[in-house]
Amino acid sequence: MSKRKKAALSVIGILLLLLITVAVCYFLFTKSSEEDLLYDDNATVGIMPGVDLDERRAQLQEMLDRSMIAFSINTSPVFLNGTSKGNLLIENPGNNAKLLQVSIRIDDTEEEVYASKYLKPGTYIDSVKLDKVLEKGTYHATAYFSAYDEETQEYIGQTGAQITLTIQN
Amino acid sequence: MKRKTRFLQLALAASLLFSAAANTSSLFAADATSTRDIPVGGSGQMEMVGTIDPTILSVTMPTFVPFNISNGVSTQNKVISPRINVKNNSNVPVRVDVTYTKVDLDKIKNIEWSDNGTVGANQIAIGLKQEETKNQMPANLTQARWLAANKKQDMNVMVLDANQEGAMYVVGTLGQAVSENATFNVTPTFVVSRTSIQ
Repeated sequence: MSKRKKAALSVIGILLLLLITVAVCYFLFTKSSEEDLLYDDNATVGIMPGVDLDERRAQLQEMLDRSMIAFSINTSPVFLNGTSKGNLLIENPGNNAKLLQVSIRIDDTEEEVYASKYLKPGTYIDSVKLDKVLEKGTYHATAYFSAYDEETQEYIGQTGAQITLTIQN
Repeated sequence: MKRKTRFLQLALAASLLFSAAANTSSLFAADATSTRDIPVGGSGQMEMVGTIDPTILSVTMPTFVPFNISNGVSTQNKVISPRINVKNNSNVPVRVDVTYTKVDLDKIKNIEWSDNGTVGANQIAIGLKQEETKNQMPANLTQARWLAANKKQDMNVMVLDANQEGAMYVVGTLGQAVSENATFNVTPTFVVSRTSIQ
């Protein structure tokens, strides 16, 4: 067998070995973890009937307390014109332990005029430009605060605050 | 030459003396202006600069309200509810409204929603009621505010004064034919706003 042939065979051998290793790893780490998590079809979501009423209430209270959020916002932000910054003053206080995302919608049209990115606890936005250019006037709007778990980024829930946007020119 | 030099020295000294005197008098004049008294019956101008501070709405409230409902509960109110605590951290009064309630009854077959608290055999009604006795779930449904399913609503559930705290509970009832082996989702959207109502 020639030297070139030998070298080509050894390269193919190494590649095959690599492929087999990757396939084995995929099978071990993906397939087996799926098999470990087989959910029972008979399970019902919720607290089992017959459990003590106070105990059940305490469990619900714990779930509700975990979803509590604190937030602050300026009730009447003012913008010099449709493209300038306005004093929105949105705050995600440090004691929240949740990520907040804010979306502002005009009440009459449901149009979203501003959407923030995630705000970490202990941070605030002072002034912003709106995502949509609004004509001069006063607009009644709702700022929706969506809460997300800080570690898992899982959606928790939403609450809102009514505000009035003023575009001066 | 000597006379010329002496003349120049004299002129310099005179000019220095004059300018010093002028400065002193202007200093006194400035002092007199800045602290002058306005005589009674006289007039003066004063500039007042005012800054309007923005009104900040600051509230602590839940974003998710879990509850259980069962015909096994012996009172008129069939809901087991946590205490829904809302705290107004602002310096202005606020009102709490429910503007929309998303209701998903897909997991329960042949069940309808009731918007007014009156239920037939196959109906469910869920509402909110303000706390009457601290840490006690309401037993009856009087003065409950009922949630309307999947449509806009403008329902006030609470008014809080500046820096005040309040609480409410989920209340509800269900018909005899409603299966207790199923779950359903009710997601009200709470919206707070500044108010003048006390």
